[in-house]
Amino acid sequence: MESAKSFGLTGFKYTRHVIIPAIVPALISGATLAWCDGWFFMIAAEYVEYMGSTYSVPGLGSYLAKAAYVYNDLNLSIILLVLITGIVLYLNFLTWHRLMERASAGTYKPTIRIGLSGVGKLGTVGSRFLHLGDHIHRPKSLILASKWLKRYTRLEKAIAIALSLVAVFSIIYFIAGRIPSVEVFQQAFADTEFANLPLYTALTLGRLAVAYVISLGIALGMGVLAAEHKRFAAIFYPIYDIGQAVPILALFPIFYIAFSRVFGGTLGLEVTAIVVLVLDMIWYMFLNVVSAVKNIPSEIKEVGHLFGLKRLKRITHLVIPAILPAIVTGSILSWGTGWNTIIFAEYMPYGKPTIYPNPAVINQTYAAVGQNFTVSIDVFDVVSLHSWQTSVIFDAHVLQCNMVSEGEFLSSIGTTLWNSGQINNTSGYIGPINSTLLKNGLGANGSGHLAYIYFTKIAPVDSEINLEETKMLDATEDIIPSSKVYSLPGLGSYLDKTGYLPPPKGNPVRLIFLLGVVATIVLLMEGLVWRRLLRKFEKYRVEV
Amino acid sequence: MAVLEVKNVTKSFQLEKSKISVLEDVSFSVDSDEFVCLVGPSGCGKSTLLRIIAGLEKPDSGEILFHGQPQTSPTRKITMIFQMFGLLPWKTAQENVEVPLEVLGMKKESREEIAKSHLRMVGLEGFENTYPHDLSGGKKQRVGIARALALQPEVLLRDEPFSSLDELTAKTLRTLVLEIWRDPSLPTNTFLMVSHNVEEAVYLADRVIIMSSRPGKVVGEVKVDLPRPRTQYLRDPKYFKRVDEVIAILEKNKHEVEAKS
Repeated sequence: MESAKSFGLTGFKYTRHVIIPAIVPALISGATLAWCDGWFFMIAAEYVEYMGSTYSVPGLGSYLAKAAYVYNDLNLSIILLVLITGIVLYLNFLTWHRLMERASAGTYKPTIRIGLSGVGKLGTVGSRFLHLGDHIHRPKSLILASKWLKRYTRLEKAIAIALSLVAVFSIIYFIAGRIPSVEVFQQAFADTEFANLPLYTALTLGRLAVAYVISLGIALGMGVLAAEHKRFAAIFYPIYDIGQAVPILALFPIFYIAFSRVFGGTLGLEVTAIVVLVLDMIWYMFLNVVSAVKNIPSEIKEVGHLFGLKRLKRITHLVIPAILPAIVTGSILSWGTGWNTIIFAEYMPYGKPTIYPNPAVINQTYAAVGQNFTVSIDVFDVVSLHSWQTSVIFDAHVLQCNMVSEGEFLSSIGTTLWNSGQINNTSGYIGPINSTLLKNGLGANGSGHLAYIYFTKIAPVDSEINLEETKMLDATEDIIPSSKVYSLPGLGSYLDKTGYLPPPKGNPVRLIFLLGVVATIVLLMEGLVWRRLLRKFEKYRVEV
Repeated sequence: MAVLEVKNVTKSFQLEKSKISVLEDVSFSVDSDEFVCLVGPSGCGKSTLLRIIAGLEKPDSGEILFHGQPQTSPTRKITMIFQMFGLLPWKTAQENVEVPLEVLGMKKESREEIAKSHLRMVGLEGFENTYPHDLSGGKKQRVGIARALALQPEVLLRDEPFSSLDELTAKTLRTLVLEIWRDPSLPTNTFLMVSHNVEEAVYLADRVIIMSSRPGKVVGEVKVDLPRPRTQYLRDPKYFKRVDEVIAILEKNKHEVEAKS
């Protein structure tokens, strides 16, 4: 770095020729992790529970989520998981690994070379130009990789600027458009659960801490072994590749079934959440440990060898202290992703939706053109249903609605106030359909039909029937989720409920407040723990 | 009597597809109470040779004899001082000296005492609890010396110990090293030092062994018969004669290597 400064490389040139090539390997492994995190959350992002109903974007993620959560189809979810893992590994192999190999050429050779020979020459010229008497031999491939990446960083910069502008404007628009009313503010802090916030925070921090300690332990063991013994590296690298790539959240229901058998319901859920967290947090630690152990200066290793430091003594006196700074960086990343994950791990939708149209797809075998048929709106395994509301969306080119009538599930309990809603056969909409028991404190349990909708089929194609603006309340006016959720008490699940459920449980002000709590904790940890540790361990860095 | 014998040591490294021969058939011996310097151009494998003698690396063929016995792994009787001092940055000066003693299974009290007395010997009293990060290069080197001496070795190997220090500090430390070498109360009296500074080698050593590069070979040897202390001879033609002899051998072999390639 100093050699570069002495040649007058400053500012942008300095960044281009010195900083970027120097951090290319880190950038690439960072990108790998970012992609894998992307895969990880694709599941969560494509399948979201919001305001009591489920939103899904068509995609591999939502398909997998549906397979696991809705259909409880173990075979299908495993097939899809294998497919996703395959895609991720293929991508890793094709792009990141190759880039990594190019970037760290000199330490090990690329196994695949495609169309590199032509560019190679250019690279040599470039490297000769860049060397400027530099005594460190910089592999030409590194420059190629940096060139390649540089183009993308500039593009990314543009995208990042555009996105942040959009974000800023939308936030301004959002805030200006709807300043929360006093009522919303009051609701935010009047919630019964709000008093539990300290407890929730402690529980969530506890889960994160337990998962962190476990992942630190395992990652240390695996990382040191993988860095020092080729035999272990051959086992652990593929595990790492697959482990970081598999969308663990999709396995949540399967883990839960397994662990609840061993530990029982509540504890099983705790164990599942912690296992999911560990499987998410461990890889940052592992990667950092491996590269740090590999980068221990040879002189330090020789000192250990010369003075006979072996096994445990070598680990405690030499290896661990040498990698402490890397452990701290790994920990910061682990906690970061841990916070992301726990918000999902404490509150996961699963199983059948509690309210759904039956059947959801009208195909040719179900009804021919001109035929009349009935679709029922069903509930599944609800507790103390007192009132409900929904709207029905259908394809008006295929179906025409004739009538809506009430089912017997609620009306068999007591007198109801029934509203069959407006039928719009032009846009394909019926609603809002709602019904409520007149007597307070009354509720229906179990499964049954809420309403019947009478249709005529008018075109020989399939049509989906979807529910919208669905809401169910129990006898205590609390929301019944539109699909079953695993929920652990904690900051994460409280955040989810505040964000996803309709008011009064859901509340934008409380949501921002809770996000502020999370941000405060993260900042406190950063300032009080990580910064201090880094400053302390900075002294431990070996000067070469 | 030969304390240390290097016999036909050959070593090569595998680099990508090509094999690089680092040392070829290197033989010499070091007598008891002798101070020997190895000089040679960079890349002549002198550091590798030192590491083989210390037991840190294995030769492809040949052997190291210590008092006539083959030596293949590190022993406390032969110890080394590293070029970059080899201090563990996470341990204080005192703890750094204590590490090898702890490995030997020494009790805490006695190793604290030994560490303190050796730090005092190299002039580091009051720096016991300082971390290497806060020590100057010369002081780090002193800690390295104290750590090596605390093991009471017979042979002390030194890998270009003064190359990263400023000349004034190096001068002081050369004097310290000679004092240690000549101190009859210390068991450490056989020194083998790698250097690329010919004047330094002639100033310190009884004998200078000259190596050529690629592959590293012993190409000559110059006995330095100047009486000690030599400080008074530093402007003397006798001193420069020896220096010139060493340089002449180095130059000759440099031309031969260039002619070959």
